[in-house]
Amino acid sequence: MNLSTSSSDSQAWGRWLATFLCMAALGACMIFALVILVDPYDSGHFGFIGIKGISDESPRTANASRGRDPQFSAAVFGNSTGQLLKPTELSQATGLRFVQLTIPGTGPREQIVLLRWFVRHHARADALVIVTDPVWCIDDPALPIFNPFPFWLYSDSPIEYLGQLFSSRALGRLVRRVELGLGLRTPSAPDGYWNYELLGHGEFRPAPPPNEPADTAAVAETQFPAIEQLAGFIANVPNIPVVLVMPPMIASDLPRPGGRAAARLAACKGALARLVAGRPHSNFLDFRVDDPLTRDQKNFLDAGHYRAPVARRMEQRIAESLRVGNAGPTTF
Amino acid sequence: MLFNDYAFLLVFLPASLVIYRFADPHPQWRIGVLVILSFVFYSYWNPLFIILLALSITVNWLAARGYLATKRGGFITGSIVANLAVLGFFKYANFVSDNLAYLFERPLWHFNIALPLGISFFTFHHIMYLVDLRRGKAPDYSLGRYALYISFFPQSIAGPLARWSEVMHQFGRQAYAPGWQRQFAVGVTFIVIGLIEKTWLADPLGRLLDPIYAQAIHGPVTNGNSWPALGFAFQVLFDFAGYCDVAIGVGLLFGVQLPYNFNAPLRSTNLQDFWQRWHITLMTFLRDYVFMPLSNVKIGRKRYRLVQHFSAMLLTMALCGLWHGASWTFVLWGALHGCALVIVSLWRRYGPRLPALLGWALTAIFVLLTCVIFRAGSLEAAMNIYRGLAELPDLERSLRSAPIIIAALCAFLLPASQDIVAGLTERPKTAIAAVLGLAAVAILVELGDRDAYEFVYFQF
Repeated sequence: MNLSTSSSDSQAWGRWLATFLCMAALGACMIFALVILVDPYDSGHFGFIGIKGISDESPRTANASRGRDPQFSAAVFGNSTGQLLKPTELSQATGLRFVQLTIPGTGPREQIVLLRWFVRHHARADALVIVTDPVWCIDDPALPIFNPFPFWLYSDSPIEYLGQLFSSRALGRLVRRVELGLGLRTPSAPDGYWNYELLGHGEFRPAPPPNEPADTAAVAETQFPAIEQLAGFIANVPNIPVVLVMPPMIASDLPRPGGRAAARLAACKGALARLVAGRPHSNFLDFRVDDPLTRDQKNFLDAGHYRAPVARRMEQRIAESLRVGNAGPTTF
Repeated sequence: MLFNDYAFLLVFLPASLVIYRFADPHPQWRIGVLVILSFVFYSYWNPLFIILLALSITVNWLAARGYLATKRGGFITGSIVANLAVLGFFKYANFVSDNLAYLFERPLWHFNIALPLGISFFTFHHIMYLVDLRRGKAPDYSLGRYALYISFFPQSIAGPLARWSEVMHQFGRQAYAPGWQRQFAVGVTFIVIGLIEKTWLADPLGRLLDPIYAQAIHGPVTNGNSWPALGFAFQVLFDFAGYCDVAIGVGLLFGVQLPYNFNAPLRSTNLQDFWQRWHITLMTFLRDYVFMPLSNVKIGRKRYRLVQHFSAMLLTMALCGLWHGASWTFVLWGALHGCALVIVSLWRRYGPRLPALLGWALTAIFVLLTCVIFRAGSLEAAMNIYRGLAELPDLERSLRSAPIIIAALCAFLLPASQDIVAGLTERPKTAIAAVLGLAAVAILVELGDRDAYEFVYFQF
């Protein structure tokens, strides 16, 4: 390719380069202006045109909007093992206004971020229900995450948030939000409830228990770094009632008594119970037990995901805990 | 730092341009500044590897000086053997070990080593220069200029495999000489076109094909899912051609015109033509430094020269396959192309002339089918894909394969990207500049999702 030019051509090519740079800059500025006006994830950092409602379907991102919604004063946190707890049932039983902030496939690190987000946006939160399934019992202090999570979305920094909005995903959310504002899109459920039973799984058949004897080796250490971090968070919000919930699983899959896994789970439950011991209107509810409800496979969608009858009983116990604290029942 | 990464496009490249703008008026600074920038670029992956790069440059340069001072060929031979030994160790030690272990049915050594990025490319750059020095074709160069030839950041990681004679004289030239605006416009156009190839053609194919090839590793590929797998040929074409176009564009921003590497290869009407248009710089290297010596060395009787010629062709292509990766599937892929090249050569010599359309169709089908072996990772996985071709895809699945159809149309119908760039930059039309500016923003938005694919050729 011949790259030589005359001097008059040089000026024209200079204008060409200036046009390229100006259009690129203009395009980028327009995108930034749009995202600042609309706030695609409704994080509250921007959004000067004030579109109301949730246009997002993924709880990972939609909970940024739900978690700061002033119509709610109490929230359920956790992963899919807390998903079936119904905010309307809890609200009716307690007189508080509950929102579901569980996110499937998350662990302690993401859930603590959600807890902080909710508390930061509610000067007076009435209750925190945290479904602490055994992922809270991990011993890795790094608190590894198992699925991508948008930590930037729950950041205090608008700059960090803005830095992530220059993407096709964010622009897709922006379009949805504008559609919501124009009435072209139905908003997602504001309380975040979603019934996973609607996925239509077939009948659950638990696997037969293994034949080999339980591992009875002693548990060397019982350190739970995730629970330690949760303790730090709870200590900073002394006036908010906290109910910790160990969710149920099919009884046949529970760790066998006397084994190492059972010992570690028991130690974890103990650590969780100590977190809320003596705290007003707070309790640790242990549903991961051998019980007629957990023995019946009809009550489960799979080994770790219970069905509505179990959820309704759990909601009753959570409501009682918020009334009387740990003077009430601690299991089914 | 990838060419399709914000770190490169929004930080390293603009910063380098500003730094070089200050160095450009000072001829004595130009090469030094570019060498430093290139080392910074290279160190982004693993700072320790710059020691290897610096050592490699110094040792080879000293060997060249030794040869020039004494005229002893041992300097050149020793240096080439050392280069190949280092490349062999990093790239093939575990491959050799695994094969010996299989042969002797007992575990052998296994090195936990990471392949230094671009080692194949800088090894080949050394070899090109040293061989030509020995042949009396290459002159003596200063350490700084030689260091830039090996490390020049637009081409150091994955090519184009520029010959010393193509670039050495360009290093140190004033980038902001009169008319630099046109050169910059061409460079910018190459970068945008390259990123379009990578982001809008190759990456969507990767997202579509990766699960299919992952399935093939574990078992049969059913329901006609094998058919999209043939699209890997388009993915690797636009991935690597896109990378090379960005490299060429970036080179122009620093006043260096790198050689073109692709020339619409999937429009070739026979396989010989294809290999003259696909990864041109590697094939030229293999032709001049592997095939020609093997073909021309006098072994055996004259009547066997044709056998020697075709054997050299087959061996060169098998080595080309092995260069792409330490795996027998790559060797098989190369050997198949070698066999096909022999057949095509014989056909062109003795057979009837094929209509161009038939020649194109046969070439495209062969390339698409053999690319499955290149990508599959194992012969079993490739066979799972091939067996799956017995089932036709349904219409719904075909609609989801739109990225393949778009890429195929681009590969079969569009001219080479350098011709597209030449057309776009024939005259300074501001409308084209405006569209390219907006396209650049759209690409940056796409790259903002942070799940950009690495360039396929980085692994080689």
